[in-house]
Amino acid sequence: MSGFLQNVTHLCFLLSYAVALGIELVRLRWRGPGLRIAGLALGAAGLFAHTAFLAFHLPNLATPYGTLLVVAWVLGVFYLYGSLHHGPKAWAVFVLPVILGLVAIALLQGADAAASASVEFPPWLIGDRFWGAVHGVLLLCAAVGVSVGFLASVMYLIQADRLKKKAMPLGGLKLLSLERLEAMNRRAVNASFPLLTGGLLLGALLLRQYHDLAENWASVKVLGTVGLWGAFAVLLYLRYAAHVPGRRLALLTIAAFALMVVVLAAAHPFAAGGTP
Amino acid sequence: MNLRAIGCNFRTATVDIREKLAFDGPAQDKALADLAGSLGEAAIISTCNRVEVYVSRAPGSPAFDARAAAAYFGAVHGLSPDRVAPHLYEHVDTEAVRHLLRVTASLDSLIVGEGQIAGQVKEAFERSQKLAATGPLLNALFPHALRAAKRVRTETGIARGHISVSSVAVDFVRQVFDHFHDKTVLVIGAGKMGRLTLKHLRELGPGRILVTNRSPEKAIELAAECGGEPIPWENLDTALAEADIALSTTGAPEPIMPKKRFVEKVRPRRTGTLVVLDIAVPRDFDPDLHDGDSVCLFNIDDLTKVRERTLAKRKKDIAPAEAIVQSEVKRFVDDWNRRRSGPVIGQLTAEVDKLRAEVVGPLMARLNGKLTAEDRKHVEGAFKLFQNRLLHSPIAAVQEASREGEHPTLLEAVKKLFRLE
Repeated sequence: MSGFLQNVTHLCFLLSYAVALGIELVRLRWRGPGLRIAGLALGAAGLFAHTAFLAFHLPNLATPYGTLLVVAWVLGVFYLYGSLHHGPKAWAVFVLPVILGLVAIALLQGADAAASASVEFPPWLIGDRFWGAVHGVLLLCAAVGVSVGFLASVMYLIQADRLKKKAMPLGGLKLLSLERLEAMNRRAVNASFPLLTGGLLLGALLLRQYHDLAENWASVKVLGTVGLWGAFAVLLYLRYAAHVPGRRLALLTIAAFALMVVVLAAAHPFAAGGTP
Repeated sequence: MNLRAIGCNFRTATVDIREKLAFDGPAQDKALADLAGSLGEAAIISTCNRVEVYVSRAPGSPAFDARAAAAYFGAVHGLSPDRVAPHLYEHVDTEAVRHLLRVTASLDSLIVGEGQIAGQVKEAFERSQKLAATGPLLNALFPHALRAAKRVRTETGIARGHISVSSVAVDFVRQVFDHFHDKTVLVIGAGKMGRLTLKHLRELGPGRILVTNRSPEKAIELAAECGGEPIPWENLDTALAEADIALSTTGAPEPIMPKKRFVEKVRPRRTGTLVVLDIAVPRDFDPDLHDGDSVCLFNIDDLTKVRERTLAKRKKDIAPAEAIVQSEVKRFVDDWNRRRSGPVIGQLTAEVDKLRAEVVGPLMARLNGKLTAEDRKHVEGAFKLFQNRLLHSPIAAVQEASREGEHPTLLEAVKKLFRLE
């Protein structure tokens, strides 16, 4: 069994997710009785293969490849939970494309992935790995939160647009209420901000203590993460101090997600061949 | 099958005729007892849009057609048969099955796809069953009609969406809000149009209901009716700033909430989305307030448009729904006929088996010792083959006739020809 699972490749879960997405798209037009079960089964198979791949290949979380695959996996869990919990809603058609997109970007980082096995970690990550791991986990959790906020925002904009046009969905794309989507976005942003802040501060301290901060601060990863933190700070200010309407907050969350994808895809200053 | 569906509906009779022909509880029970007693099986569907009787005549019972039904309805309701007869339609056997299936699937309703009729048909059937007015045919037909209606509802979009203005309004509210226990509903005005919508809104379980009206007495009265709090008309802006859902239904000749007033006096004091259901004519709220985000405003025109779209969409689903009904009619008629002809075919085969045994048995006894085991097998096989060939045509004819739904006469003929019980 473990030999079989060891042979799981990217293609296995990528294809399962893609076919599950195809079925969900068909369901928007035609609701056959077996389609929901087929979509869920393929999505679950994709998540299983994804889990097996991560378990047996243990990608390096310090690389964009590893981070993106793990974020995609957490979203896979989010997708399956949401599909079961919000059965009649068009949940999968929003979450699965993001998962596929993140896996695709991870695959584009394939060269780094191959190199990741031979990355020479800085001493602090080999000797005292604790704070480095905490830094990575905090940012990873923040990335998941931003992704959830992004999904809620996209659905919010579609729902708000539909309400603006005063169109009532008669089948097809069924969405959660504006209130629910707004709450999902709010919780995701609220949870991500302290994680992002903690991860960023810890990263800055580690950079200062073990590496040349002046030399590394200008990397895309560091600047992008600072920008992301700034975007979140603005988001919180607009929500709680300026009471900006949900539509603008949703747009800003989507922009933050785009910035996060750039940050995740950028090489980590510590993992670039061992030189900080 | 000997089934008849006789009645009138909103197409064939005006509301005053339908009202006169309608059966209330006791009258319906009496009619069921009369009809089932004299004919065999009976069920009556009596709603505001139709009065129909389904009867299955037992052999030897008196004829019951539209003319007889007009006489019976006339006698029960104190009308002359001539006044009733022009409004009645009559469907026989397969057409009666089709009619019941179409009625139950809401394809024959005033508003196609409405959900009430299936429940009314179920009630009618259960009432007849309770009074022992149903028999094998209606006991099979009504549950089949209910199953077919369920298929139509789940496999087509014919029952999707709402078609009453108040239900559409509540659907919009549900697109905006997820839970209602912490929401405040503000009712502006005490118009009749708003009461039905308020009834639907109350079913959502809002935390608070505020009622305001130019006439404080009416506000107090409506607030008492709906368990709300009356608010002075002068506090409209403050109440609107607190509300999550506003239901406006005044008879004011001018808008009570122009955009300028809302922007200056209400918006600065608000957070969150406000849903305005403006079902007043003329409108109470400036439609420009609607942005689909902080204010979602739906007036009577918007709600009516959605209703029209829903109806148009349902029309597209009529053809697939009719196809399901057609296939279910065929299935029922085939099953019923098979059920009726099966025992006769079985009896016929058993009878001829018996005759063959009566001929072959003595013959074999007489030839005992003169035939080898193989010869005996050949002789017995030849008789069996002869029997099969002889019966092939009558059995095929009965089966064919049962598929075409004209088998009762042929079945009787087969029974008589072969002297079957």
